[in-house]
Amino acid sequence: MSVVPWTEKYAPRRISEIVKNTDAAMKLLKLVREWKPGSKGILLYGPPGTGKTVSVYAVANELGYEVIEMNASDTRNVRSVMRVAGSAAMQSSLFAKKGKIVLIDEIDGLSGKEDRGGLGAIIDVIKSSRFPVVLTANDPWDPRFASLRRYCELIEYKRLTMWDIVKVLRSICQKEGIIADAEILKEIAKNAEGDLRSAINDLQALAEGRKRLTKDMLSILARRDREKNVFEVLRMLFSAKTAKTATFALSTADVDYEMLMYWINENIPHHMEDVVELAKAYDALSRADVFLGRIKREQNWKLLPYALELMSAGVALARDKSKFRFVKYNFPTWLKEMKATKGKRDLQKSIGEKIKKRCHTSVVRAINEFLPFIRVIFKNNPEMGAKLAKWFRFNEEEIAFIVGTDKTSKEIIKLLK
Amino acid sequence: MSEMMWTEKYRPRTLDDIVNQEEIVSRLKHFVKTRDFPHLLFAGPPGTGKTTAILAFARDLFGKYFEENFLELNASDERGIDIIRTRVKDFARTRAIGDVPVKIIALDEADNMTADAQQALRRTMEKYTRTARFCLICNYSSKIIEPIQSRCAVFRFAPLKEEDVAKRLKWIAEQENVNLTEDGVQAILYVSEGDMRRAINTLQAAAALGTTVDSDTVYKVTGRARPEEVREMIKLALSGRFIEARKKLYELLITYGLSGSDIVRQIHREIYNLDISEEWKVRLAEYTGEIDFRLSEGAHEDIQLSALLAHFALAGAQMQGG
Repeated sequence: MSVVPWTEKYAPRRISEIVKNTDAAMKLLKLVREWKPGSKGILLYGPPGTGKTVSVYAVANELGYEVIEMNASDTRNVRSVMRVAGSAAMQSSLFAKKGKIVLIDEIDGLSGKEDRGGLGAIIDVIKSSRFPVVLTANDPWDPRFASLRRYCELIEYKRLTMWDIVKVLRSICQKEGIIADAEILKEIAKNAEGDLRSAINDLQALAEGRKRLTKDMLSILARRDREKNVFEVLRMLFSAKTAKTATFALSTADVDYEMLMYWINENIPHHMEDVVELAKAYDALSRADVFLGRIKREQNWKLLPYALELMSAGVALARDKSKFRFVKYNFPTWLKEMKATKGKRDLQKSIGEKIKKRCHTSVVRAINEFLPFIRVIFKNNPEMGAKLAKWFRFNEEEIAFIVGTDKTSKEIIKLLK
Repeated sequence: MSEMMWTEKYRPRTLDDIVNQEEIVSRLKHFVKTRDFPHLLFAGPPGTGKTTAILAFARDLFGKYFEENFLELNASDERGIDIIRTRVKDFARTRAIGDVPVKIIALDEADNMTADAQQALRRTMEKYTRTARFCLICNYSSKIIEPIQSRCAVFRFAPLKEEDVAKRLKWIAEQENVNLTEDGVQAILYVSEGDMRRAINTLQAAAALGTTVDSDTVYKVTGRARPEEVREMIKLALSGRFIEARKKLYELLITYGLSGSDIVRQIHREIYNLDISEEWKVRLAEYTGEIDFRLSEGAHEDIQLSALLAHFALAGAQMQGG
């Protein structure tokens, strides 16, 4: 099934159609138009889905230029950069006197062995190019880009507001003949957290084969996309070589820091196979958690940055010897287990409540300090168990939970009657 | 024949029945006599008689009007200060019944309250000062904010002496026709670490296995009450199988419902049974203590304990000279 992605179908063709970051695009247009050999490259930076790449195409369209694009999926060793971007930059277009823009997309993706020298090559291209070179990045402050920045004009792209996004979604719905509740568009926009591309993708996925959108359809989508975002955050975080990049990674997350902490915890051992690094990473996470504890207890929110830095930079920089490798990220086992055992834990709690009533203690202490002993008694001495069950007023379900085996619990229940 | 938990059955009913914490008991007796006393703050390790002392004090003070004049709350269960405030208000707005002018509100595990909640509690304490006295009970008085501490008479409950616990155990065994051997007593003392509640629970569970309670039955009980998972978890961690060790940890926290500090305590104990050099035992214990501290300061038990396991994994590698 070939469906044109709406992000392409409705991509702005003109600068005036760009949402929110029109000024940035205007600035880009001006730099491209006035560009002459020897000028700096142009680095567009900002969160995903804020219109960096589309504005390059819109500018090209306005000026009648051609775009030569490379993105993160290309291998970027010296040779390939020179071959693709370099040659495009050095030769004029064969077929027209048209200008060109060399677009090197998503330079954040540059990493590891395969890309070694890629950055240097990009700088060479910028220096020798006969056409403007435009780069895009999420985090331009990554120290790897320090020298690159010197050869570039920087243009910032800002996160879109919810209302910016709603406006676009509404107009797409109109063009597609879809009737959508205002509520659901708002929800999609909110979920996207400033990322128009993901909002449009969400809309299209929801609208697949439907002409009417109601609010209750949203739940299907939310989690999948958040997970995707979390993967990106984790990848950026665990591959970070500086504190700044690692903390920046956290700030791009769609989920709250508490959720992120679970994700980080879950995936530390997959990145840190070396025990020295493992212990170091966990020590940082544990210290982060101490700050979170203080924040919660004392509502002292000004401590939050320290917690976030420890859980991102502290963890990431623990990996100082071994190489970064791509791993498949797991959903936090802790949360999965908590969900799967909800029924059991509720039962345990009701048992705790009953012990609490009798023994002047709290539910937590009842479960920790009394239940293990009560369990031993129930398992080994059904008679005493039955008497205690009566005193505590445990019901059959609770007795079965405490004992854990059918035979003994039936015996106790029989004795009770 | 009815049966109940022996911790309740043999809980001292009056101040006269309490055999230790002499200082505290004598001051409480004095308060009974004068019928005039300040707010109270009881601090001390678990199982040292804090709850027993306030219950006995209130019974001695109020006599037959105990039920009417005594309210027991638990800060870790009564969610939020608002619930506490409502219940306190309902309780304290009517006058005490009988000839004591004030009611008593006991607030257990008060150190689990946030600083904000404690501030609110402070105001509540002041508001009802004519009709009610508070008794805050906690493990660490340092976690109670200064303004509350300064409004309370602070009583520190010392860890119980071994001979006092032993005497009590023997007496209970006698009442219950249990043959408690001397090595049985020693074993209970060892596993309960001065915590009377745990000592008595251990005795009762051991007695459920048979009429003779010796060190064998005691360790059987603690073995069953404290699952093997802890030891296995430590071994997995030390051998560098961190992910498996963490899985065990989750099982202990979630399926067994153990608290983080309970698990840390068991790990601490287990360290000394490991087949490693004495020097390493001390090193592991040191970090375990550090994590125990962070547990009380931190927000997530699973994370603190995972950090401990990661450290064990490192220690395991270093022991092998890696």
